[in-house]
Amino acid sequence: MEKPAITLENVKKVIGGKTIIHGLTFGIYPGEVFGFLGPNGAGKTTTIRMIVGLMSMTEGNIYIQGHSIKKDFKKAIKNIGAIVENPEMYKFLTGYQNLLHYSRMAGGVSRERISEVIELVGLKDRIHEKVKTYSLGMRQRLGLAQALLHSPSVLILDEPTNGLDPAGIREIRHYIRRLAEKESLAIIVSSHLLSEMELMCDRIGIIQKGQLIDVQTVNDFVQDEKQMSVAFTVDDIDKAVRVAAEQCHFKIVKTKSDGIELQLEKEQIPIVAETLMKNKIKLYGIESTAKTLEDKFLEITGGKEIV
Amino acid sequence: MSSMLRLIQNENMKIYRKGTNRIMLLMLVGLILAAGLILKLNTPSPKPHVNDSWKQALIKENKNLEKEIKKVPKESQSYLKKEIAINQYRIDHHLPPVNGLHIWKFVDLMTNLVMVIAIFTIILAGGSIASEFNSGTIKLLLIRPVSRTAVLFSKYIAALLYAVLMLVVLFIVSWLVGGILFGFNGLTQPYLQYHNGHVTETNMVLYIFKEYGLNGVQLLMYVTLAAMISSVFRNSALAIGLSIFLLMVGPTAVQFLSKYDWVKYVLFANTNLTQYITGTPVVSDMTLGFSIAVLAVYYAAFVLIGWLFFTKRDITA
Ligand SMILES: Nc1ncnc2c1ncn2[C@@H]1O[C@H](COP(=O)(O)OP(=O)(O)OP(=O)(O)O)[C@@H](O)[C@H]1O
Ligand SMILES: [Mg+2]
Repeated sequence: MEKPAITLENVKKVIGGKTIIHGLTFGIYPGEVFGFLGPNGAGKTTTIRMIVGLMSMTEGNIYIQGHSIKKDFKKAIKNIGAIVENPEMYKFLTGYQNLLHYSRMAGGVSRERISEVIELVGLKDRIHEKVKTYSLGMRQRLGLAQALLHSPSVLILDEPTNGLDPAGIREIRHYIRRLAEKESLAIIVSSHLLSEMELMCDRIGIIQKGQLIDVQTVNDFVQDEKQMSVAFTVDDIDKAVRVAAEQCHFKIVKTKSDGIELQLEKEQIPIVAETLMKNKIKLYGIESTAKTLEDKFLEITGGKEIV
Repeated sequence: MSSMLRLIQNENMKIYRKGTNRIMLLMLVGLILAAGLILKLNTPSPKPHVNDSWKQALIKENKNLEKEIKKVPKESQSYLKKEIAINQYRIDHHLPPVNGLHIWKFVDLMTNLVMVIAIFTIILAGGSIASEFNSGTIKLLLIRPVSRTAVLFSKYIAALLYAVLMLVVLFIVSWLVGGILFGFNGLTQPYLQYHNGHVTETNMVLYIFKEYGLNGVQLLMYVTLAAMISSVFRNSALAIGLSIFLLMVGPTAVQFLSKYDWVKYVLFANTNLTQYITGTPVVSDMTLGFSIAVLAVYYAAFVLIGWLFFTKRDITA
């Protein structure tokens, strides 16, 4: 198996006698989008700060493409592009001057590359204006631009969709998928927007109170629970209830004004439909509502409790 | 090395794109112009000397000074002695004094503005480190393949370069303003230096540069102090406020406490090196060498503390 681009080994952080991160161990592979999910104060930003070397680790180590961020900072950080919390840029400089600033620090970033990145994040028209005139969404885009400037192999984005409109969120999601699939970047995305994670990530790690309590692929996550509730829209509700109970032996979750809702597995949906139709019940629609990641997340973390 | 140059280039971009830093440069020029105009309007235009009448005048003045010297207390005598010696030197060497202001006298007066430059540079240096923390830009600044040490020193060097630029502007503008307002004919005036009862002639430019150099040491100390406070507390208001406060109050405080011997180890007793050229030292047994040694120790401590706090602490901004 290929080597992970980032490896965390038993990473701990203690601040003022309080353990904020309790020994995180995981790896992220090239081409993978890893979702870092957790309620407020779970320790997502703290972990990201340690990965990029802004905070020291109390224990453990982090390797980026094999280089320890502790001992070999320059070699390790070269491979990382990141946004930590909000993408704060120099407001009195233009977007372009900001990018020029970071390109000088990376070395080997050509003017062509700067233009390319500006084009990619869609800031071409406003790039020569001062950042103080930018909207939150535009700052987020500029943040993404500075993270991609030096063509890193690891991308770390702390809440990248914060402040973006739905179209912007979609766009970012597309970049992220494309960067992972086409350019094999290893990407960490932290977010509270759970529905977002579902669409964007390959794997999701749930962190709570500084502990990684679950890591699963998105598919496993969603399909974990096989039972789903399925709503059948019918004309004769009473008859449908009787038929479903007598002939299919299914538990009726509830009866609705326009139909019934059953707790089923996927394979049972056509059977129920057929039975209903055989009994001359008119079937207008079938709608299944799978358990969302959000339900799952709240189930695992036990609601909205903050550390 | 070239990576250091690029970092300094970045810092310069941030310095000169910020409105306040450009305004400070303009203010300096404005101050010189204002000072020149005020002096011009308040000093009567000098009358040209008629024959050797200036010699008679100086002889008369010296006689008065001789009388006065007997009346004043011992501490004030050295200044009068210096005046007498210089007047005598002029009489002996046929060097008529220029009445009123002349170009070099104006440039010399304007060396007082080095303290204003110090304040401007404190504002810049104190802000340049802490503002990265206040605005959160420090996060994106420190996740580059560059050591924190290099980032810190690029900021420090850029601030000092700004001070050097201001000093150059001060010299050129005060020379031009002095020349335009008071005439360039004073250019040939030598500087008469009084030292241990002897008067020697030195080049005016050399003398002015020496003044700049000695005041520059003071500037360097306060700017380094401001940079250290900025790095330790990550707060620009505190760094700027405290440094300027110390710059204003420190030297006066040590004068008050000058009867205690330990005062000579206090930073502010040593920052003003011109005390060895013009005035008397804060504590009488202090020497130039002593002050330089004390300053070197403080300087090393400031740099070390500032560096430790900048490179070793977590970034939580
Ligand atoms: N400098 C600090 N000193 C003390 N405690 C801190 C510090 N920084 C973070 N913490 C604590 O560490 C915990 C994790 O914070 P962190 O910012 O990593 O959470 P997060 O998962 O990013 O939350 P959010 O979703 O709100 O961004 C919190 O309980 C926070 O109070
Ligand atoms: Mg966070």
